[in-house]
Amino acid sequence: MKTKGEIVFFAVCVAFFGFMGAQAVALMGEGRAGEIGSALWPLISLCAALGLSAVLLIQAVRRPAAAPVGGEASEPDARDEARRRRKAVFASTACFFLYLVAISFLGFILATLLFIPAFAIALGERRTKVLVAAPLILTTVMTAVFIKFLTIPFPKGVGVFAAFSRLFY
Amino acid sequence: MLEIYGQAFATVLLPQNLIAMVLGALWGLLAGALPGISTSMGVVLILSFTYTLAPMTAFVLLVGAYLGGITGGGITSILFGIPGEPSSVPTVIEGHALAKQGKAAAAMWTYLLCSIFGGLFSVLFMIVATPLIADFALRFGPAEYFALTILGLSVVSGLSGGSMLKGFLSCFFGLFLATIGTDGITGEERFTFGTVTLLGGVNFVVAMVGLLAVSEIMIEAEEPFKEYKGMVEYRGLLEELPRFSLFRKYWLTMIRSPIIGTIVGALPGAGATIAAFLAYGEAARTAKHEPAKFGKGAIEGLMAAECANNASTGGSMTILLSLGIPGSNTTAMLVAAFMIHGMQPGPLLLSQRPDIVYGIFTAMIVINLLLLAITGTAIRLFLQLNRLPYSVFSAAILILCVVGAFGINNSVDDMMLMFVFSLIGYFMRKFGVPVAPCILALVLGDLAELSLRRALLLSGGSPLGLVSSPISAVLLLGALVSIVYPLIKKPRMLGSS
Repeated sequence: MKTKGEIVFFAVCVAFFGFMGAQAVALMGEGRAGEIGSALWPLISLCAALGLSAVLLIQAVRRPAAAPVGGEASEPDARDEARRRRKAVFASTACFFLYLVAISFLGFILATLLFIPAFAIALGERRTKVLVAAPLILTTVMTAVFIKFLTIPFPKGVGVFAAFSRLFY
Repeated sequence: MLEIYGQAFATVLLPQNLIAMVLGALWGLLAGALPGISTSMGVVLILSFTYTLAPMTAFVLLVGAYLGGITGGGITSILFGIPGEPSSVPTVIEGHALAKQGKAAAAMWTYLLCSIFGGLFSVLFMIVATPLIADFALRFGPAEYFALTILGLSVVSGLSGGSMLKGFLSCFFGLFLATIGTDGITGEERFTFGTVTLLGGVNFVVAMVGLLAVSEIMIEAEEPFKEYKGMVEYRGLLEELPRFSLFRKYWLTMIRSPIIGTIVGALPGAGATIAAFLAYGEAARTAKHEPAKFGKGAIEGLMAAECANNASTGGSMTILLSLGIPGSNTTAMLVAAFMIHGMQPGPLLLSQRPDIVYGIFTAMIVINLLLLAITGTAIRLFLQLNRLPYSVFSAAILILCVVGAFGINNSVDDMMLMFVFSLIGYFMRKFGVPVAPCILALVLGDLAELSLRRALLLSGGSPLGLVSSPISAVLLLGALVSIVYPLIKKPRMLGSS
């Protein structure tokens, strides 16, 4: 069954591989006898990927559209459910991205302490005990294993956050 | 000969060596389980501790870490869906799927028993057939390596699920990703767009963790909230231990996979990853019992991958001890250990220091048995992690992924790259494009390209050079059969499902 998302996905694939293929053509140059240069292998991969994406795009476009399950009456429910799912994925992904950015500014420990409850709430967690205890326990374990024992040099953060991080590593 | 092995066992079982093997195995299990801390890194980290140790003690410590690392990759693969090593990707596909079906205990025991079986098989193979394996490995040149990587990539047909088109799209995407960075022959920059991050290429651990583990969390975020990941009831050792009938049912896989693992592991540069994927692909292609389960929790797939994975250690050690050529990154570290203790691995080692060579053989047998005992005891503990609240469990996995990505080069850029791959992996999964072929191609792509270009250089540009030897011709033919046979068997697999 056709979905708009699938068409967009394979269209993006076609565009991406086409663009990279153009970059690969620019790599082509002269070489010695028997030397195939740096462009051939990427070109083979990209042309094959481009061809396959195009075929899949055409297949996706030609496929009949999906009928809503349960008929028209369930369409608002299905839309609400889809919206809820998108919101959960977006919220959790945004939390994770902000965590990755925050590590450089707040340091690993503070960023992790904030990330865990934020991510849990994004997933739908509402139990207070979990939201309070888990960040402390998990951050302590991670700090002990990776920073103290394995001495992985995580970013300490900037300014006052760096001073806080230096208390631990 | 028996006397020599008797003496070797007596040496290996000395208290200091036993302690070294246990510590090495434990450390290796931890290093193998954690993404970003690879087995080779685990060996390097304890290398400096071996300076003051007696040679035998030093080697058994390092070999313990090596075998533990290869075994440990399966733990997080099955329980969390995070591959500790690239060779654990098939384990993630099948083992984690089994864990999600509530069969985590069965999957863990199967993985453990098959790992140990593969390890022991390869050691025995090694003891008997070292000269044969060494001789075979020496016949591999660029053309043979190219053919082997193509055979390895051909297992995509088994990893594609319902649609080979999507499987091959994923594969070619992975091949493209492998070309990013500096060209290994000309030194030219490819697809770096002027960034320093991409100059060294795409690290496969970063891609692996993002495509597999993080994207899985994103997919699971769509599901209704659940308080706990899933209660895993452990009914006791006798109940959870897989029955002998299971291994009898898949006897062909149990024999074929360690042989593939040992031989492929003996090829320098090939290693556990190709071994695991080749064995897994063979099992998928020739499956008689429930072939449709592959990709959704096929126990046979898990068995094949883990047998081959651990069997590759014997092959790698064979080449190291008999020829002095490291078969993998980790055995390259072991060369350093030999040099620290004033020895040179190679053809003369057996005649100059037979105690060391036979001692390592016997130590590998003992370490495999120790790993069985240690990991078997800890399975129940590992399964308790499923009692964590699901939201916390997911957060912990993401933090482990961040540690894994950052820990490779201590670079924040790698974390961001992992995030990009997680988005790619999420959309790939949403639209039915399998992720495993991309990872396989990313790992093998570099070797395939370099081997192709070297083979063509040697043959003056003639493609006939690629099939000039019987080995490369047979391997390429095998790859062709591997790709074409599923299409003949199930033509609808060419479509997009």
